[in-house]
Amino acid sequence: MTRKGKYLGGGLAALLAIPLIVAVADRGGFAADHLDPPARTDAAVDPTPDRAADITDIYAWHTADNLIIAFNFAGPQATNLPAVYDRNVLYTLNISTSDSVTNPAFPIRFRFGTDAAGNVGIRLENVPGVGTIEGPVETTLSRNGVQIRAGLYDDPFFFDLQGFKQTQSTGTLSFDNKRNFFAGQNLTGVVLQIPRALLGTNVQKVRIWGDTARFGGQI
Amino acid sequence: MNRNPYRALLALTVALPLFALTACGGEDNDTGTVVTPTPTTPTTPTTPGQTGTSFNVSRCLNQMVGNQTVASLVVPDTLQINFANASGFPNGRQLADPVIDVTLAVLFLDLTKHPATTFASIPLNPPANDLPFRTAFPYMAAPQGTPPIASGTGANFNFRTDAPSAYTRVDRMGMPAVATALIRSDSKTAYNDDSPEVDATGKWVPEITATLTGLTNALADDLAAAKLTPCATPN
Repeated sequence: MTRKGKYLGGGLAALLAIPLIVAVADRGGFAADHLDPPARTDAAVDPTPDRAADITDIYAWHTADNLIIAFNFAGPQATNLPAVYDRNVLYTLNISTSDSVTNPAFPIRFRFGTDAAGNVGIRLENVPGVGTIEGPVETTLSRNGVQIRAGLYDDPFFFDLQGFKQTQSTGTLSFDNKRNFFAGQNLTGVVLQIPRALLGTNVQKVRIWGDTARFGGQI
Repeated sequence: MNRNPYRALLALTVALPLFALTACGGEDNDTGTVVTPTPTTPTTPTTPGQTGTSFNVSRCLNQMVGNQTVASLVVPDTLQINFANASGFPNGRQLADPVIDVTLAVLFLDLTKHPATTFASIPLNPPANDLPFRTAFPYMAAPQGTPPIASGTGANFNFRTDAPSAYTRVDRMGMPAVATALIRSDSKTAYNDDSPEVDATGKWVPEITATLTGLTNALADDLAAAKLTPCATPN
């Protein structure tokens, strides 16, 4: 495997990169989920993109003791902009503790709100081992071994989206593995670290997915 | 290139099969049994750069990635984690995983001849984030620049308490790149309005199969030129 990878590392890399990009560009784009669906979240298509409800990525991984999930949205954005906390968006992060995608054991729902002084908070429901919890953003909320933090973060995704789009519009290869469209940009995210023991007994497999919805209809 | 995520991926490739879009199975809603719709062989639109040879991608969808088919990883559209296996895409998704390069390899290459890490080893795309991730919670890197940051204080916040039914769906996500790469532009809004439960009925299997077929028809000659064997078979 390693040998094969190295073999491909030379001129073949360029050979491969060109046709792949050209062909794929004709069919839309490979990205995580940023600006998708375009008709609702991409300013290039939608004059009123719903940035708060635009999921950029969902990450989920496990350690010996914990399940960690990052639910990211409203990105990528310039580094001089604040986080996006919209009171009218409902975020749902589903954790199924079986192979089934029906009635997940933990449909974690979260929303943002402000207090009288304008401080921003987050409220989450159906958190394993916790239930409902609320507190300020940019502060780690901890209870029963669970840690939760909403805030502004660096956009962790890496991909040459710029080269992709340039190739698409010009027909000339602009793909560069040293160019990361998401570099130097931020997004808003909620990170949860949940002790696996709180998911139930003998939980061997989980399925995770998320969605967003706006109160009063789409903008 | 030598960051840890690749170790996980390499291990995964050896130990488990990587991706396999089989016939795109899903879970039956009530019984948990796997429903396996038969992929249709779609009419493929002419694509610039294609050679005229048309391909059948069923074999790609049925390839094994670890102990799963590619199809079962993509449909229904969720991230899956088996706690018994090593962490790393597609067994979950870590921040540092090169998911696009791995996805491209799994969708187009014959995984019995090329590892799922083939493209990530080149790499086609940048291999890592521009900032290192934190090793402890919350793991993602701090925001760049000097943006305004919320106070981190406050109490008695005013939240909406409306039922979920009072909200209108905007976006959904499970596996990275599925909705963006394998669902065509004019279907993306409808796809985002659905759910994994609907995915499991096989509703989107023809769409995914058709898109992958079109991409494969356009790329097959290029893969051959690079001495890579596609997973798809000529019709």
